[in-house]
Amino acid sequence: MMTADDSITIKICGPAGSGIMKLGELLSSALNQCGFFTLTYPEYPSAIRGGDNNVQIVISSQENLSPRNKIDLLFALDQKLLDSHREDLKKDALVFDANTLKIGELPEVAANPIVKNTVAAGFIWKVLSQDLDTLLRAIKETIDEKYVDINFRAVELGYELQVDEKIKMPASDAKKKINGATANEILSLAIKKADCQYCSIYPITPINSLLGFLSQTDIKMVVPEDEIFAALSTIGASYAGKRSVTATSGAGFSLMCEAVGFSSMAEIPLVVVLGQRSGPSSGMPTYSGQSDLNLAINPGHGDFPKIVLAPGDLQEAMNLGQTAFNLAEKYQLPVIVLADKYMCESRFSSGKGLDEKTIEIDHGKRFEAGSDYCRYKLSHDGISPRAYPGETTFLTSSYEHDECGFSADDAKTRTEMMDKRDRKIENMDGGFEVFGNKNSDTLIVGWGSTKSSILEYLAINPEVKYIHIWRPWPFAADLKKEVLKAKKVIVIENNFSGQMASLIEMKTLKPVLRITKDDGRPFYKEELAKLIDQSI
Amino acid sequence: MNKTLDTGKVPTWCPGCGTYGVNAALKKSISDLKIEPKNVVVCYDIGCSGNMINVLNVCGVETLHGRSIPVAVGVKIARPELSVIAQAGDGGLLSEGLNHFVHAMQRNDDITLVLNNNYIFGLTAGQKSSATPVGVMARAQSKENQIKPISAVDLAVVSGCKFIARVPVENISLLQEAITLAIQFEGFALVEVIQPCKVWAKDFPQEKFVYLEGPVDDAKELIGKSNLAGILYLDK
Repeated sequence: MMTADDSITIKICGPAGSGIMKLGELLSSALNQCGFFTLTYPEYPSAIRGGDNNVQIVISSQENLSPRNKIDLLFALDQKLLDSHREDLKKDALVFDANTLKIGELPEVAANPIVKNTVAAGFIWKVLSQDLDTLLRAIKETIDEKYVDINFRAVELGYELQVDEKIKMPASDAKKKINGATANEILSLAIKKADCQYCSIYPITPINSLLGFLSQTDIKMVVPEDEIFAALSTIGASYAGKRSVTATSGAGFSLMCEAVGFSSMAEIPLVVVLGQRSGPSSGMPTYSGQSDLNLAINPGHGDFPKIVLAPGDLQEAMNLGQTAFNLAEKYQLPVIVLADKYMCESRFSSGKGLDEKTIEIDHGKRFEAGSDYCRYKLSHDGISPRAYPGETTFLTSSYEHDECGFSADDAKTRTEMMDKRDRKIENMDGGFEVFGNKNSDTLIVGWGSTKSSILEYLAINPEVKYIHIWRPWPFAADLKKEVLKAKKVIVIENNFSGQMASLIEMKTLKPVLRITKDDGRPFYKEELAKLIDQSI
Repeated sequence: MNKTLDTGKVPTWCPGCGTYGVNAALKKSISDLKIEPKNVVVCYDIGCSGNMINVLNVCGVETLHGRSIPVAVGVKIARPELSVIAQAGDGGLLSEGLNHFVHAMQRNDDITLVLNNNYIFGLTAGQKSSATPVGVMARAQSKENQIKPISAVDLAVVSGCKFIARVPVENISLLQEAITLAIQFEGFALVEVIQPCKVWAKDFPQEKFVYLEGPVDDAKELIGKSNLAGILYLDK
């Protein structure tokens, strides 16, 4: 049975370059093997050295987790950083730092300062009363083979340090197979499963690790000079008949907007992963947010169809990451997969085991030889068979065009073609999932990465109804019905103005309540519960 | 010549426009090389010469202004067996999309670039481009142009381009030879076609071209010499 506090939260901080992120990955992966669910949420400034990098690990017997305001254990690799986290401490929190523990003075660390973080891991592991072998096994799995021995020794040194006070851990089930991953890892797996064969990605937080994962596959890559090349070469490869993808953040997507419109106008499939971060402009580039919804559903000039997906957890990242390619090919248009820094770089865990099944590939309506082929043939569903170069000659155009792709500007052709393109997705339904008490008058709405946080709230407050939107665009008619049915609608999102709230109001003409947060951080558990309770 | 290379549409170019010549040379090259039209992809820039999409019957893609190179590179990487040509005007190559030009040469992307240099923004009716010569009056300018033009050939040399040709459009047989060699060349190949706009650049001073007998050995010899024409450099 769930209790409100069947979890503990630890935070580890240190300057950039001291291995905080690796430490978070190591500990959470070992904790998963011990049968705990974890959420590992990193924060770091846009700097390669110095500053305050920190990682929060929520350890729980429950699967759906959100970051916490208050922590049970703080470990600082540098004593100087303790002060900036004192406000986060619970009253009885344990506080340690590497200086007081004299970790730097251990001969092995003095000789190899880089292992300071794994000594800390060993020490924390003892405070958490966990079995050393599991941590050693995790080291083998997460650390480069040639550094395993030195890190084994470092972990043992930390584990041998004197520990006066230990932490009471939540319940665990070591028989449970719990897997952890970031959304970037899962999206890259999904992209590979979807038979993607080309990508071009300009480095930008928070999709850098996605670029790293894809570079380890056999997917062809061109290092782009800018996001404009990235998007347009992706469109070029897709036009030529190969599935392709680009990824970026809001700043890069702003540069891609003209290309997104081109994809829709010329009816060339395009998949873009848009990892949102804190804008506007350069903003807070290593912090999170959901403020690019407006941008994703209105990228560029003119009216044109597009599909926007917003996975909320690892399973949805796995499914939608693959489905995006099918939708792009079926409807011959841009599909934008909205993620954000919080989900791209945080490590989530899953107990049912991620369903990694490969979704059947659908290239959509295709050219058949022997016919009098026109690329943009008008049809009942607005979709015209697609040829690849090498099959026949045909014209593809960013200009308004007639059925055969010739430039056109007469009123009749224009109207027919706008209608044709719109028809492709005008009746798309679904795109959301209902949780909680389906008969409740109070409806909570969220989208994208807020899913596990709201589900954690729902586990304690099952009387409310919650709709998670995983496809913000097109906005489905059945979603409108759900919104109109509710007496009170509360929309929760990580942006300043309430962009989804405004979209819902525009589509339903029903005023909604907004819970927004735009300080670069995801909703914390205690904070979200308070905000929802106040609204209800 | 392969008649099926014509779509039958009437071109939108002015009488005497150099793009007629480029269109003819392209068709002759494709025919001579016996490449099936369905295996030729031409990615067009936005501008007068980009309107060739409507008359040349291949796999034509009208892209965005300044962006024909990125689309062409994506096509070529995905399907190396296709003959891929990017077309651009001086506005789209030397003004809007200059970065793609430099980087495609740096990477040595395996495409042919045909640059229709008419010294001016033609389709928008005569404004100065980055290729407009010094001392001439262009539309929407209060005085004669004082800014030195950017040379595509100079940029190609310093960016490591391995095939460089500059051909006045009047020399149609040389243009056709250059395009044929460029299509066959493995790597990035630049064919700059000099075709001053017959309407907006008709009063501009005429360059007196000196034809090279063969490519130079050291591409650096080409820098700063805007009067050289021919197959200027070919790195075997």
